[in-house]
Amino acid sequence: MEIQTESRLVRLCIEAACESRESVEKWRKQRRTLDSMPSHLADALLRRLFLRRLLFPSLLEAFKRSVEAVDLKGASNVDAEWMAYLGAFRYLRSLNLADCHRINNSALWSLVGMTSLKEVDISRCAKVTDAGIRHLVSISTLQILRISETGVTADGIKLLSSLANLIVLDLGDLPVTDTALSSLQALTKLEYLDLWGSNISNKGATVLQKFPKLKFLSLAWTGVSRLPNLSSLECLNLSNCTINSVLQGNGNEAHLTKLICSGATFTNEAEAFLYFDTRFLSFLDVSNSSFNGFYFLHNLKAMEYLDLSGSMIGDDSIEAVASIGANLRNLNLSKTRVTSSGVAILVGHVPKLENLSLSHTPVDDLSVSCIGMMPSLKLVDLNNTIINGFIHQDGAEPNLISSLTALHSLKDLESLNLECPKMNDAAVDHLSSFQELRLLSLRSPSLTDISLHHLSSLPKIKNLRIRDAVLTDSGLFSFRPPATLEILDLRGCWLLTEDAILSFHKRHPLIEVRHEHVASTSDQAACHRQPRTSQILSQVNQKQEKLPVSQYFIDQRLKYTREELLALQFQSSSLGSPFDKSHARPQMQSG
Amino acid sequence: MRKEDSVKLISAEGFEFVIHKDAAMVSQIISNMLTSPGSFAETEHREVTFPEISTTILEKICQYFYWSLQYANGKETEFPIEPELTLELIMAANYLDT
Repeated sequence: MEIQTESRLVRLCIEAACESRESVEKWRKQRRTLDSMPSHLADALLRRLFLRRLLFPSLLEAFKRSVEAVDLKGASNVDAEWMAYLGAFRYLRSLNLADCHRINNSALWSLVGMTSLKEVDISRCAKVTDAGIRHLVSISTLQILRISETGVTADGIKLLSSLANLIVLDLGDLPVTDTALSSLQALTKLEYLDLWGSNISNKGATVLQKFPKLKFLSLAWTGVSRLPNLSSLECLNLSNCTINSVLQGNGNEAHLTKLICSGATFTNEAEAFLYFDTRFLSFLDVSNSSFNGFYFLHNLKAMEYLDLSGSMIGDDSIEAVASIGANLRNLNLSKTRVTSSGVAILVGHVPKLENLSLSHTPVDDLSVSCIGMMPSLKLVDLNNTIINGFIHQDGAEPNLISSLTALHSLKDLESLNLECPKMNDAAVDHLSSFQELRLLSLRSPSLTDISLHHLSSLPKIKNLRIRDAVLTDSGLFSFRPPATLEILDLRGCWLLTEDAILSFHKRHPLIEVRHEHVASTSDQAACHRQPRTSQILSQVNQKQEKLPVSQYFIDQRLKYTREELLALQFQSSSLGSPFDKSHARPQMQSG
Repeated sequence: MRKEDSVKLISAEGFEFVIHKDAAMVSQIISNMLTSPGSFAETEHREVTFPEISTTILEKICQYFYWSLQYANGKETEFPIEPELTLELIMAANYLDT
């Protein structure tokens, strides 16, 4: 929604216009100017008013002849009164009301008969039921409709069959039955269908063949185990399903590019992937699944994103990954049995690899020297491994060699996670000369003030985490943070006193300090400064830390965070294409 | 300011603003008009008429041009905008691509 292309003066003006309630009053009566405003400017102004919490129902009226896109996602105050004004927006093309909990059926009545509305999102508006759908089906122009996690039943879903222009339909976590899906056959323009958590069975899945243009399909958390051949399909999500066969049947083979089977149970891997052309598959997520047919990886020559975390893979199958390493950019092997000898097999076969995760694996310092030979790496995650920074060399004179110096050959390394409990100050010394490092994460009870001192020489560091270390007040006092530092995370450094942290904050007001002694007010300030992605990241992170849930669930959340970020990344690179963004969403909700 | 270094901007009401050409170049549109090859009247006479921009707004725009130059040279001051001008200024700024 946010338009970044607007010029600087436009941006300054929008900010000035949304400075306060008084400034709004100065211009809101300029009706003719507002009416003639190009829609992208009016959209941006309205959005800014909303974000500044200056928007109220009657102010909406001023925008009714100019605005085309309204995004009120997550607003808890948006209710029927707002909707009454929005219903009068003559050129409204897109309306996002996701997570607006006060939206109910009668609020949606205002939208009846709108003539230019193409996109509506009422996801998670739990008060909306079948009666609300009756209002929406009067908008025949609708192309994109998202009603996941609302109170709509199978009967309401059947009504959607009259929206013949629908291209994107998100029915996540709704009780979609086989008969309800069958009644949607009329929607032949459908390209994107999300049915996660629905009641679809194998029998109902055969109906999916009636959608000739279907490119994206999610059946995550459903009972579907046999998916018939869908020749137009490009992206498929079968997370947490029991998978028997995928895309089996006659006709043209599907050119699947993305397959997400996270948490799935495979009854027979050999058979599961037999029926579609795997040459185009560039994205495969089989994390936490029972997937065991790693020999099958040999065929996936186009693979760019491979998530094998939490799977059964061990060193014996790494060769299969190496054989398809030519295009690999993202490889997740965390929580697997892979050891340093497995990592060694990858060396020389992954020229484009940018992200590598080996967290929670038994890799040791020998793996670090191998990682140093993967030239394109930008992000390396070695959290919770037994890495300590030194290689023991046997011989006449036993010797300690720093393993981390091997990483100096990685010219693009921006992010390094080394939360390894065995790291000590001497090891950290070898990290102090990384030129491009933006993020460094350490977590070890053996680290002291000396480490903090070493790291003050990192020239580009933005985010520095030294957690659970034995830092002292005087150590923090003498710490000269690099000019680029934005976030200093010292959580778990139990020796630090509140006074020491406050005084550091006073001396360096621009650096956000995270510690048990710091109230979370700084998080809000950070949200205004940071771009949207990192805002989401920090929100999700907060969520992770606050929720007292079992280990299993924490792991799930970690993984989905990364997935969601990836989805965001796709979103920005292919603006306007709705097909990339929703794989992660279903699991996000259920986690 | 020498004559060849100046540009004349004319508002809807016929008011003329003579500004330095470097300042005018802050606007992508004016910059294109002044530098485009061929014999645009604008290129020849170094004057541009904006029949849609009122005098008040054009004055503000000219102030912005100079502020923008200073800002680029490291003088980081605020550019004050009166709330009642914001709407028209948004449209003019969008048109001038500045």
